Amino acid sequence: MDSTKQSTRRKFLAGAASTTLGFTFVPSSVLARPAPSDRLNLGHIGIGGRGRRFLRPLTQLNEKVVPWENLGGQGDRYLRPALSVALCDVDSSRLDMAATVVGGKPRLYKDFRRLLEQKDIDAVVIASPDHWHALMTIMACQAGKDVYVEKPAAKTVEEGRAMVTAAERYGRVVQVGSQGRSQDPAHHAKRYINNGGIGTVRKVLCWHYENPRGDWTADAEPPPGLDYDKWLGPARSIPYNETRTHGRFRWMLDFGGGQIRDRGAHVMSVAQWIMNADDTGPVSVEAEGEPHHGGIYDSPQHMKVTYEFKNPDWTLVWAQPGIPSEEIEAQYGAVYWGDEGRLTVTYGDRQTTDTEQKAKDFKTPYGGVDVFRSPGHFENFEDCIKSRKKPIMHIESAHRVSILCILGNISYRLRRKLEWDAVNERVRNDEEANRLLSRPGRGPWHL
Amino acid sequence: MTNPEKNNANLAVPRVAVLLSTVHYSLSTGRAATEADEKFLADIESSDEDTAYAAWSVADRMSPEVIPQISKLLVVEQLLTRRAAGEALNNIVHSVGKAVNPAGFSANSGRPDDPGKQDRREQIVAQLLNLLDGKRTQLEKVTALRHLSLLATVDHVNAIARHVQDAKLREEVVFCLERIPGKTAEEALAAALPQAEDAFKPRILAALGHRRAEEAVSVCLEAMRSSDPEIAMAAMKALGRIGARTEDGVQLPDFDALSDWQKIEYHDSLLRYADAQVQSGNPEEAQSIYKEALEREEEHWQCAGIIGLAKIGTAEAVAAIFPKLNSGTNTVRITARKAWRAMAAKDAV
Repeated sequence: MDSTKQSTRRKFLAGAASTTLGFTFVPSSVLARPAPSDRLNLGHIGIGGRGRRFLRPLTQLNEKVVPWENLGGQGDRYLRPALSVALCDVDSSRLDMAATVVGGKPRLYKDFRRLLEQKDIDAVVIASPDHWHALMTIMACQAGKDVYVEKPAAKTVEEGRAMVTAAERYGRVVQVGSQGRSQDPAHHAKRYINNGGIGTVRKVLCWHYENPRGDWTADAEPPPGLDYDKWLGPARSIPYNETRTHGRFRWMLDFGGGQIRDRGAHVMSVAQWIMNADDTGPVSVEAEGEPHHGGIYDSPQHMKVTYEFKNPDWTLVWAQPGIPSEEIEAQYGAVYWGDEGRLTVTYGDRQTTDTEQKAKDFKTPYGGVDVFRSPGHFENFEDCIKSRKKPIMHIESAHRVSILCILGNISYRLRRKLEWDAVNERVRNDEEANRLLSRPGRGPWHL
Repeated sequence: MTNPEKNNANLAVPRVAVLLSTVHYSLSTGRAATEADEKFLADIESSDEDTAYAAWSVADRMSPEVIPQISKLLVVEQLLTRRAAGEALNNIVHSVGKAVNPAGFSANSGRPDDPGKQDRREQIVAQLLNLLDGKRTQLEKVTALRHLSLLATVDHVNAIARHVQDAKLREEVVFCLERIPGKTAEEALAAALPQAEDAFKPRILAALGHRRAEEAVSVCLEAMRSSDPEIAMAAMKALGRIGARTEDGVQLPDFDALSDWQKIEYHDSLLRYADAQVQSGNPEEAQSIYKEALEREEEHWQCAGIIGLAKIGTAEAVAAIFPKLNSGTNTVRITARKAWRAMAAKDAV
């Protein structure tokens, strides 16, 4: 490159930066009450059990909205004014129910592309089944929407990487619903551990309960009002069965993937965050497990997955059932083992995190490691829509967590250890495993 | 929770089915069923969950010649047997998947990580291919194709691709071919395009795009001239994903004839194409696409233009971003400033 040219360009960049970057963004969290002009228009895709929690009714538009405990936050600030202006679900009954909750005249769609075409929508909340997360997120980015998408981020490694690329290409804010990171006890635990509270951590042991078995239910015709082909979307076609559709898809390996994805995306998200491993991955993954001998679900009843990380060296173990913490009684969580002690971080009871008192009482010493404290998971998303900063569970981090869940299931399915190349996102010397890292689409639905 | 089949009064029926299936087994495979095979198949059909599980969990040790019989059990009435058969087939397939060489079985000979499994893999694939022919049910054929998507190599592409015009199977055939590495699969997909029904052409084009099949550029360019906007847009999307440089004067789909969503995909395809040009060292063409995006009204296209231009980082690109530093749109302004800071930091290194 011509050095004179480079010098000129450098001066130009530096000069312009000094004259135009003086502006400082003031987050709405420090203001008493957001301006009405800050109103967000939300679109919702998938409004079943989880999706309904994010609806912002007309009646609450000018009122203080108390953050939902599950999403973290202190409840001491106003949520940004927001209104659910458009709703989409492939099941008419759910659509009607949500419309009633929202009030007014929200626009209703069965095809999410029609919702994404609406130019007045600022952001979308995606709470569809897992096998839809990636495509809906990518297409929302293409349409210029910021995205709050439920966890786990992706069904395959290829999908996760494509989500990251789409968010980067369009400069979109994508927050993934592993909200544990926004809950105070997880923040306390990270602050405590990152400041050496238990020394160097070499092992994190997650425990959880079993996957369900599922009744024996015969396939049937889909109910009227449910567009089953759209429910399937990019997934391989299988006959309709109520035991593996709404809400219960998560126990099927091809749709959800069992507890390691459903809850692993919470517990291992917090672990990855605390261990500062958001930009890396394991070098090996080895699963063992056993399915229910009967029942419709194929995700394993018992499962233990061991992930080895290098530089720094540490081990992450996902076990269902695992050995519960002695310090805190909870259905699931993780124990962090350091060379100077251990700390429990739970996730499960009342859908919130908890940790031990020593971490809650800890004060960061002068010069110690400062840890960002999220104001609440959705509030953090709202802040980032305005600041354009990366949210606490941005898509790159969520993709890395997804990889843990996905590789655990692949190792279980293939019944062999996987050697993982985290840079290239490929399994070493295992062609079949690599083919399972992606899943060709179906019909019109493709990455 | 109990299995209702356990209480079924017709517990003797599966045993009869096993005897019949064993006779058929010998006839269809030309090989006498071994005692172990017979016991395995009987146990897979057991109405006792633990017995069925014990069988399916060791299916990887059974002869590949049990596959035709297991396949038939995928469609029986008993739900437990269906599940057991499906799991057994999974275990058989996964037991030989690791060392598959995408370049073909012949390339695997003598590999140290392939201790004697090559023959077994070939036998399993051959059995799965056999399921595609004859009077097998749709479910059996679909199941076979899904397993072949994990094991098949260039050696088997032709045997699979000849089913691509079967209206009931074509979706699964393309799915299978899409997963088989190597140019042979891409050539088979491209060759299938002209004969395919118009309604199915977008699916084949999507597969070619997903595969980043550079050999398919000419068929995509041809398809992009289609008067059917579905086909033309599918071709444009494929080309955007393939990312191979095309010559000037390419005929893009008629923008005015596109639906609102197709218009979004149109611009997205251009951006993907531009990103690919930057990655492959052809920034000039990309720069003009990004600059066009900057001129659009929608803020996310402007952001995409800024982000793309910042990756190029030439003086011309920097100059194009500059006015956006004071954009009246919050998102555009912040994106431009972030890009600016990143470029300045890069220059300072």
